[in-house]
Amino acid sequence: MDMFLDMFMWHHQNKKTQNNFPSLIDYSVVETASNEVKKSNNLPFLVTRAQEDVSVSLPSENFYKASIRDFSLYYGKFKALSNISMDILSNKITAIIGPSGCGKSTLLRSLNRMNDLVPNTHTEGEVLLDGTNIYTPGVDIVGVRRRVGMVFQRPNPFPKTIYDNIAYGPRLYGLRRRSLLDEIVEQSLQQAALWEEVKDKLNQSGMALSGGQQQRLCIARALAVQPEVILMDEPASALDPVATLKIEELMQTLKTDYTIVIVTHNMQQAARVSDYTAFMMIDSPQTRTGILVEYEATSQVFTNPKNKQTEDYVTGRFG
Amino acid sequence: MEWDEIMPRETFERELQELKYQLLILGSMVEQAVREAVEALKRRDLEVARRIYDGDQNINEKRYEIEQNCLILIATQQPMARDLRMLAAILEVNTELERIGDYAKGICKINLMLGSEPLVKPLIDIPRMADLGLDMLHRALGAFVSGDADVARAIPEEDDKVDELYNRVYNDLLTMMFADPTIIHGANYLIWAAHNLERLADRVTNICERTVFLVTGEIIELDLAKGKKIEPDFADV
Repeated sequence: MDMFLDMFMWHHQNKKTQNNFPSLIDYSVVETASNEVKKSNNLPFLVTRAQEDVSVSLPSENFYKASIRDFSLYYGKFKALSNISMDILSNKITAIIGPSGCGKSTLLRSLNRMNDLVPNTHTEGEVLLDGTNIYTPGVDIVGVRRRVGMVFQRPNPFPKTIYDNIAYGPRLYGLRRRSLLDEIVEQSLQQAALWEEVKDKLNQSGMALSGGQQQRLCIARALAVQPEVILMDEPASALDPVATLKIEELMQTLKTDYTIVIVTHNMQQAARVSDYTAFMMIDSPQTRTGILVEYEATSQVFTNPKNKQTEDYVTGRFG
Repeated sequence: MEWDEIMPRETFERELQELKYQLLILGSMVEQAVREAVEALKRRDLEVARRIYDGDQNINEKRYEIEQNCLILIATQQPMARDLRMLAAILEVNTELERIGDYAKGICKINLMLGSEPLVKPLIDIPRMADLGLDMLHRALGAFVSGDADVARAIPEEDDKVDELYNRVYNDLLTMMFADPTIIHGANYLIWAAHNLERLADRVTNICERTVFLVTGEIIELDLAKGKKIEPDFADV
C-alpha cells in the first residue's frame, strides 16, 4: 500500500510541476530529439511539425515513452506480427490504422502484455517502456499494466457502483484509506469529464449509465491507477457522432498528462485526433502476418504518404 | 472539465483561428512591402528597394506555409460547409496576397532599374493610389476574417477611385511623352508602377468576393455586381 501511496503522491506532484512547465521553447533539445527519432528507426519524421508540437507540453527527458524494437508475435504457429519497430512519443497521440486483420489490436495489446492472456503466445524482440523491456523474464506484469492502461471498444464497466468501478484498481493495489480513494475517484471522474454528471449518484450501478457515460467511466477507471500510457482500442466506435467528437477533444486534454495510443478502423478519426500515424497491413494473403508499412507525422500520412500502399489505403483505393 | 463544456471540434476550431491569424500576418507583411516600395520609389531609395525586392522571398514562404497548413487541415479534419468554404477561401486569399506582394517587388524592380535616373515627375497620384488600395486591402482582410459580407460588398466600389487615379497618371504621363520623347523610358516605368497599384485594388475585389463566398456560399463577381459597363471586346466579335 505504501508503495502505491508513494506512487500516487509522486504522480500527483509530478503532474503539478508538469502543468507549471514553462512554455519555454528550447529548440535545440527538440531538434536533437527529432534527429534522434530519425536516426533510431530511419523514419523520416516531419521534423518541423514535431518541433512546434513538442515544445509546448513535453518534458524533454521523456521524449519516447515506449519503443517497439524488432518485435514479432506468434499465436502458436501463426505469426501475427513481424519485425515491428516504432517509437511512441511521450504526451502524443499515436494512431494505428490498417485493414481488418492486419494486427493493429495485437500490436496495441503487446504494449501492456495483454496478449499473454491468449494461450501459446510467444514473442521476439522488445517493447521498451521508458527504456526497460517489458518482455524481460520476471518483469512485474501487474506493474506494467498499471503503467499502461487500456480502454476497450465496448464500454465494459464492472457490475458495481460507479465509485467501486473507479476505486477497483487502487484497491487492487492495496489502497484502503477512504479519503485518498475519494480523492482518486473524484479526480479520475473529473479528468474523464464525468464528475458533474455522476457526483450525486456515486453509489448507483455503473451499468445504469448511458453508453457514452459508461465509456467515460471506463476511461476514469483506467486513469484511477495513475497510468502513464493509455491504450485505446476503438474507443468511440459504439458512440454517436457528437459523443465521438467529444471523446476526441477529451483525448486532446488527456495527452497533456498521458501518452495515448489508439487503434481505429475509422481512418478519419485517426486523421483528426492523432499526432502520429502508423499504417499496418498483412504481408501476403497466405501468411496474413501483420507488418508496419509506414509511420509518420499524421499530417504527412494524410497529405503526402511516402509509401504507395499507404497512399492507396488512405485514398480508399485498397483495404 | 465537464462533458457539457467540451465543445466538439474545439481543437480544429483553434487551428482554423490560427490559420486566419497567419493569413493576417501575411496580409500585414504585404501591406508593409507595398507601402515601403512606393515610399522608396518616391524618395528614390535604392537600398530600401533592394531590401523589399529580396524580402519578397519571405512573403512567398509564408504563403507556402499557409497553403501547406490549409491542406493538412483539409486532409485531417474533414471540414464541411462553412469550414470547408473557409479553407478554400483562405487558399484563394493567400494567393491574392502573395501576388500583391509581387506588385511591391515589381515597384522595387522599377526603382532599381531607374537607378540614378531622376523621376520624370514628382510622385503624387501614385502614392495616393497606394494609400487607397492599401486601405481597401486592410479593411477587406478584416472583413474576411470576421466574415462580414456587407463590408466586403461595399469595398470594391472604392476601386473606381483607384481606377480614376490610374487613368489620370496614365494620361498625364502619355501627354508628357508626346511632348518630350526623351522621357518615354522613365515615364513608361511610372505607368508600369501605377498599373501594379491598379491591379492591387482589383485583387482586393477578389478577396472581397471570397468573403461573400465564405458567408453566403455564392461566388459572385463584385465588380460586375456594381453595374460597371463592360466595354465590348473586339477580339470576340
